[in-house]
Amino acid sequence: MRRSLLHLPIKRSAWAIRTSNVARIAATRSFASEASPNPEIYDIVVVGGGPVGLTLAASLGAARATSHLKVALIEGMNLASIRDWKPTPDYFANRIVSLIPSTVKLLKETGVWKHIKQERVQSYDGMQVWDGMTDARVEFDWNKLLGGRQEGVDTTIAHMVENIHLSHGLLQRLEELAVKPTMIDKTKVEKIEYGQLTEEVDMRDWPIVTLSNGQKLGAKLLIGADGGSSPVRTFAGIESRGWDYNRHSMVATFKIEDDSAFPKFAYQRFLPSGPVAILPLPGNFANLAWSTTPEKVAHLKSLAPEDFVAMVNAAFRLSYTDIDYLHNLKSGVVEETKWRESVTKYPDPPTIPMRITEVLEGTRASFPLKMKHADRYIGERIALVGDAAHTIHPMAGQGLNAGVGDVYSLVKSIADGISHGQDIGSSFTLEPYQSERYLPNNALLGFVDKLHTLYGFESGPLVPLRSLGVEIINQDWFGLKKFLMSQAAKS
Amino acid sequence: MATPTSTSLAHTCTRCLRSRTPQLSRQLYLPAISNNRTFSVLHRPPPNYPGHVPLKLPERLFLAAGSAIISLIDPRRGDLIALLGETTAQPYFIYRLRDRMLKHPTGRRILRDRPRITSQSLSLPYLRSLPANTIGATYVSWLDREGVSPDTRSEVRYIDDAECAYVMQRYRECHDFYHAITGLPIVREGEIALKVFEYANTGLPMTGLSAFSTLTVKKDERDRLLSVYFPWAIRNGWKAESLLNVYWEEVLEKDVQEMRDQLGIEVPPDLRKTRAEIRKKRREDKGGKVNTVAATTTNEVVEEAMVETEAEREEREQREIERQAMEILERADRM
Ligand SMILES: Cc1cc2nc3c(=O)[nH]c(=O)nc-3n(C[C@H](O)[C@H](O)[C@H](O)COP(=O)(O)OP(=O)(O)OC[C@H]3O[C@@H](n4cnc5c(N)ncnc54)[C@H](O)[C@@H]3O)c2cc1C
Repeated sequence: MRRSLLHLPIKRSAWAIRTSNVARIAATRSFASEASPNPEIYDIVVVGGGPVGLTLAASLGAARATSHLKVALIEGMNLASIRDWKPTPDYFANRIVSLIPSTVKLLKETGVWKHIKQERVQSYDGMQVWDGMTDARVEFDWNKLLGGRQEGVDTTIAHMVENIHLSHGLLQRLEELAVKPTMIDKTKVEKIEYGQLTEEVDMRDWPIVTLSNGQKLGAKLLIGADGGSSPVRTFAGIESRGWDYNRHSMVATFKIEDDSAFPKFAYQRFLPSGPVAILPLPGNFANLAWSTTPEKVAHLKSLAPEDFVAMVNAAFRLSYTDIDYLHNLKSGVVEETKWRESVTKYPDPPTIPMRITEVLEGTRASFPLKMKHADRYIGERIALVGDAAHTIHPMAGQGLNAGVGDVYSLVKSIADGISHGQDIGSSFTLEPYQSERYLPNNALLGFVDKLHTLYGFESGPLVPLRSLGVEIINQDWFGLKKFLMSQAAKS
Repeated sequence: MATPTSTSLAHTCTRCLRSRTPQLSRQLYLPAISNNRTFSVLHRPPPNYPGHVPLKLPERLFLAAGSAIISLIDPRRGDLIALLGETTAQPYFIYRLRDRMLKHPTGRRILRDRPRITSQSLSLPYLRSLPANTIGATYVSWLDREGVSPDTRSEVRYIDDAECAYVMQRYRECHDFYHAITGLPIVREGEIALKVFEYANTGLPMTGLSAFSTLTVKKDERDRLLSVYFPWAIRNGWKAESLLNVYWEEVLEKDVQEMRDQLGIEVPPDLRKTRAEIRKKRREDKGGKVNTVAATTTNEVVEEAMVETEAEREEREQREIERQAMEILERADRM
């Protein structure tokens, strides 16, 4: 950090840069090296048009102090398919996120939430979480805790939204902004380097981004919202520590039996190979997130649809021994689970999810799971947000929520920096962001990681202990449950 | 002291868990078991399968302790050993054993088919017609020697889960096959060794508790158990494939040794032969003594000189144990 202080380039306000852009670029052209054109200068270049990058662009555009900044967003994929997304009522995408109330609050403040079609959002105010080995269960249900639904009290734990739906809403919001960010999609960042010293300007501390189309962008502040294997982080030389869980998360969207008689709940069962979750969607739809070994995921993907459906139903009903055995069957899962379910005792909905009847075609997919945390979130004129800064096991559904928390904090820091007349790329400006976010994220990552380890045990002394802990939470002794639930909502 | 029970108990296959004990003795020992009405005042949940008797925890503990104590005093009480087996297998052990079956293709198939071993399901005349080295022939020879049929196994009643109750039933019904496969004879010593083997193989607490009856055998037998048969039993029981995962009905015509190799079981030292040799040696020693010291107690000499058959010896030991057990009980009654 000290180094960047010493090497601060010409001290100019954001305004100064913007007003001088054209003149300076014209002036520096003659000094450019033959091969590459001159960089176009931006206040902020955001790499990554995932949900976090788009939220960042929308937030910068919405906040009064930052709405004038010249922003570019670079995304490797084609954003047109997201922009042109046409939802149909009988289909839900397989990638779904749960947005906690604080995330939704931010999306409302930035004017994004109004673009979200509420009929495609499913909120839930109850959760059933249980141990696949001991059946110890925590029931998070605000309405039960408060003794019934109460007027004016929002008891929502989270809102389920399709990723593409959220991104679509974010893009719509960006279109509305007075100063629109420059959106460069289908283009990859190929190289990042620091600039050169020219007669006009000392850009030795400025990141210069070279795109796959040959275009060059200079950034006063380069923000990496470029996901788990962040090129920006690599460029900044920021170490990211953690490990591969050797687990993949299998997702799919289902039709379920009519559940209109029951409240909408989220369900998660901890199996030693990883948690399996069913998350509610509007109508008779639901979404799966099943974390397990890559081999088992490959097996799940290879099954015939009816066998896959039987397998998922079994995952919430049968013993782990049976589930493990079923993973060896290439076919006949329907038959086998019918027999096993006839001799196994399991609770009825809504204690467990409704029975799945059908998997929507083409929705089976999987993602490798990692736990990674960057040593720092900021570097010289660099900041990392979202998965670029931290990758978390999805069991708690907090990855994107944490990313949105980063965005909120970073935009606030930039706005503060601007109002104090600071350089937006300086560590004075960025330091508050890092100090506000690092520890809470670290705690969240550590907690989820430990849960993963704790529930990885099939037997041994920790198995009864974890169940005891769960029982204590479930009894709401010492108000522990209410505390946990309100923390989860705030986070 | 010759009670009416002693004769009826005399033929019970040692800890083979046969329910051949007459009602009389059952009432004498543990009235609560046969008289379920005593419990019916409590709100007993409905049975999970025909014959199931759901127990509350205190009842379970009481029955486990009671059956453990009495079956230690009198190892012939197959019914109590069975009861001990059921009351101690829950909640953990029987589930673990069931899971071990579920993980094995054959074990899983057995659980799906739930075959029962009865004189209907197995044709004994056919088994007798098989070559002597086959599992079927070895098995039926145990039955014939003991004069029992496969139908005399008592029904499982105190295991709550229907599938686990079947596992316990299966374990019981296959016990004679374990004799056949290990080659251990049905003398007390052999039974104890087999129980330890079963403990290492199944993890069922009752089989392990049975090892305590080592305390009730003679010193030389005890020494032999501890030095030879227990190490064999633990090693083999542990490393061998779970015997519950053998579909015995399907391997009746198989060579015993071949099956042993497949399961990974070494044959233990021949217990019958060892015992016969030791007895012979002892007789020779004693015979020498009689000659030199000159017979003072002729009766004793005559008795010692008589060649006691294996069965006779068993019978004598058993009577002695029963006599002791009855004495204890009578003394308890008087208190
Ligand atoms: C199965 C699963 C379930 C999840 N469920 C939830 C949930 O319920 N709630 C929740 O909060 N979170 C959840 N998450 C986590 C959440 O999906 C991530 O935290 C979130 O997507 C991170 O967004 P991001 O924008 O930081 O990164 P990403 O979504 O990874 O986006 C990074 C973007 O950067 C682009 N990019 C990368 N490199 C370059 C380059 N060189 N040039 C140009 N562009 C580039 C990529 O194309 C990509 O679009 C889940 C994750 C998984 C795997």
